[in-house]
Amino acid sequence: MAACPTHINVPKFISMIRTDNIIGAAEVVKTSNALANTCGKICPEEVFCQSVCTRGKQDSPIQIRELHFFATQQEAKKGFSATKIFPASGKNVAVIGAGPAGLGCAFELSKLGYHVDVYDAQKPGGVPRKSIPLFRLAPRELESDTKFLSGFFATKKCLVDSKTFERIHREHDATFLAVGLGRDRLLGIAGEKLKGVLPVLQFLEKAKTAPSKMNVGKKVVIVGGGNVSLDAAATAKRLGAESVVLIYRRGEKEMRVWKGELDEARRQGVEIRFLINPVSILGKNKVAGIKCMRTRLGKQKDKTGRPVPVEIKGSDFTIDADTIVIAIGQTIDANWLGDFERKVGGYVKVRENFRTSLHGVFAGGDMIAGEGTIVQSVSHGKYAARAIHDYLSVK
Amino acid sequence: MEYQKLKEIDIYPLRDMSYDFLGIHLENPFILAAAPSTDNLDMVRRAFEMGWAGAILKTTSVEGNRVDLAYPMMSTFDHEGRKLFGMGNIDLISERHIDEIEHDVKVLKKEFPEKMVAASIMAGRKEDWQSLVERLEKAGADLIECSFSCPQGNIGEDPGKMLAQSLSATELTARWVKEATKKIPVSIKITPHVTDIVEVARAVKRSGCDALTASNSIQALMGIDIRSFSPYPNVGGKSTYSGMTGPAIKPITLRTIAEIARNVDIPILGTGGASTWSDAVEFMAVGAGVVELCTVVMHYGFRVIDDLKSGMSHYLEEMNFSSPAVLVGKALPNIVMHDDLQRKKIRSHINKKLCIACDLCYVACRDGGHMAIDQKPSRVPHVEWERCVGCGLCQHVCPVESCIEMHIMA
Repeated sequence: MAACPTHINVPKFISMIRTDNIIGAAEVVKTSNALANTCGKICPEEVFCQSVCTRGKQDSPIQIRELHFFATQQEAKKGFSATKIFPASGKNVAVIGAGPAGLGCAFELSKLGYHVDVYDAQKPGGVPRKSIPLFRLAPRELESDTKFLSGFFATKKCLVDSKTFERIHREHDATFLAVGLGRDRLLGIAGEKLKGVLPVLQFLEKAKTAPSKMNVGKKVVIVGGGNVSLDAAATAKRLGAESVVLIYRRGEKEMRVWKGELDEARRQGVEIRFLINPVSILGKNKVAGIKCMRTRLGKQKDKTGRPVPVEIKGSDFTIDADTIVIAIGQTIDANWLGDFERKVGGYVKVRENFRTSLHGVFAGGDMIAGEGTIVQSVSHGKYAARAIHDYLSVK
Repeated sequence: MEYQKLKEIDIYPLRDMSYDFLGIHLENPFILAAAPSTDNLDMVRRAFEMGWAGAILKTTSVEGNRVDLAYPMMSTFDHEGRKLFGMGNIDLISERHIDEIEHDVKVLKKEFPEKMVAASIMAGRKEDWQSLVERLEKAGADLIECSFSCPQGNIGEDPGKMLAQSLSATELTARWVKEATKKIPVSIKITPHVTDIVEVARAVKRSGCDALTASNSIQALMGIDIRSFSPYPNVGGKSTYSGMTGPAIKPITLRTIAEIARNVDIPILGTGGASTWSDAVEFMAVGAGVVELCTVVMHYGFRVIDDLKSGMSHYLEEMNFSSPAVLVGKALPNIVMHDDLQRKKIRSHINKKLCIACDLCYVACRDGGHMAIDQKPSRVPHVEWERCVGCGLCQHVCPVESCIEMHIMA
């Protein structure tokens, strides 16, 4: 991974900040990235831009993300710069899903002159709106982007099913799917239905939209080992839990997390315990604890290339819990996608140019690649838009 | 997944900054000064494609005028870790003579009819000056700039004295040049190394020439290696005086342009130390009609035009100015003689909430002001008003924005 997936011209916008042309800098950023303000706030800069910053070879990298965010905020404060009118191509494209990939695609298609209809069951924003915790991204920071984008295309409220999908597909010259991963994976162990056990997306959405209604109790256990589980852990801490324990069945090396987020969770006081596998959830009406076993890493590797954890006989023990959050990954939440070719993990299979197995239908974002970053999804959308343009230009 | 970089689609409209100067229509006020950046057809082409409004091709002369360069020719004035605060060169005029420059002008005008293609010339004899002008005008040049002020390599009075240091020679030569033109404007590039810049400007005006380019680089000795005692740039242990350009000379140029503009009614091409769009605003505010840039391009490349244009357009919008042309001379009414300045009593005021107690204002006032700042017992400085005269030194050494301000006494 290198530089910025949306190819923001970093030297150009920083040189503009240097001459106090902040609005010009914001325009450079926004030309390349549809969710400019959101990415400016939450992008894992140590993985992208700052990891390749030349200055880092001399002393330490320039704080690129901070500068980016400063510029987009200043522009939003002043009022968005007027944009130009794009000559209409006379063709229309549907985008299903108003998350980062969908919005990224719709914006790029608008620039190319397409009429774009975006469909989503909820307000635009996707993951950043629903499940990125408040302390990382306030609603107004995302709304700055969605407000800007609303000048280019409309988002229609629509719960897509097989019938509506067929109609949308028929009525448009091309369709881009970006429905994300809306369904929580569950452990499939006893007690998972007990009160106080929450799948992570539900937990994060509730914590973001109605934090005052959340009562997580004193002890919270998070099950999982990805970035989303760290978000959940830090959120639980902020909701007032005295102890938050994150249990993961493998070791730290096997975690798929951004280091910055792991450090942040630890700073918040989250206890992270490795090589522990949940066996069953305990409690009568309400959750009381979780029964676990210790594991060791076996020689065998799974399909992700990581060693398979093996439970150690007789090592079972119990952790008390008032709330348990299951954060072991998500899958696509769309039954109407049955006909599309899939790949390992259930993600939709696309060819290099984002084409699915169905003619004229493209897909991008987490639904083709699994849980990724916001900026990668925006980038998918942007590149898919160019692929759709190529497709429609020869059609 | 990694993807190839795309050519971005612009989402912002082109912002019109065009206006007329000396009868030439310009897309924006940013012109490349006569320098290495304009001594190569491919380089000028690339600059034009990136959005520069015009270029003064590097100074040329007649065949037979030998250009004997010495290398290395560049050196810099770095200041407290900041590279290239000033740049010195012992470069001379272009090694390419009139035949080649004539060709470049023709090609550039054909490929870029909307750009200002100007040529810079230097000669000795009347017939040489005039043949250069005639050939370049015929080739399609939009403007002729005459270098009366190349300061490099000169030690002592003669023969290296600059043309623009003599009023009579300036007027006479400028007249030859103007006589030889049919239609196109002529600008004389002058040096600030004179006793009275206004007299030089008047001499140019009398000659009938159309404009002044103010001003050329500042003669400088760029430094001495304190171990080997070789000056910079080190040419085999020896060196000569350089022409210094870059941010360090900006205040000198501002004064030169202002002083001409306040006294002589003649269009000015401003150059010498402008690096950014806001520098350009300052140059225009004291009387420049366009701004020529060079050192910033040699440091950061032609791409600086992106910010020059963007920054200028946002500034014009913010200020509600319809065109860069309205900036010309805006600050001139505010430049007055010392006698005409107000004499109100002012005092320093330190904002205690912003103060970081760094000691800088205290030390500066104690040893370079009027011992009017005390810092006992808490290290937080406070101004003793009966001692403070309002000189403003403390304000300028303070590292915190808006922490120290000068207040008018009631």
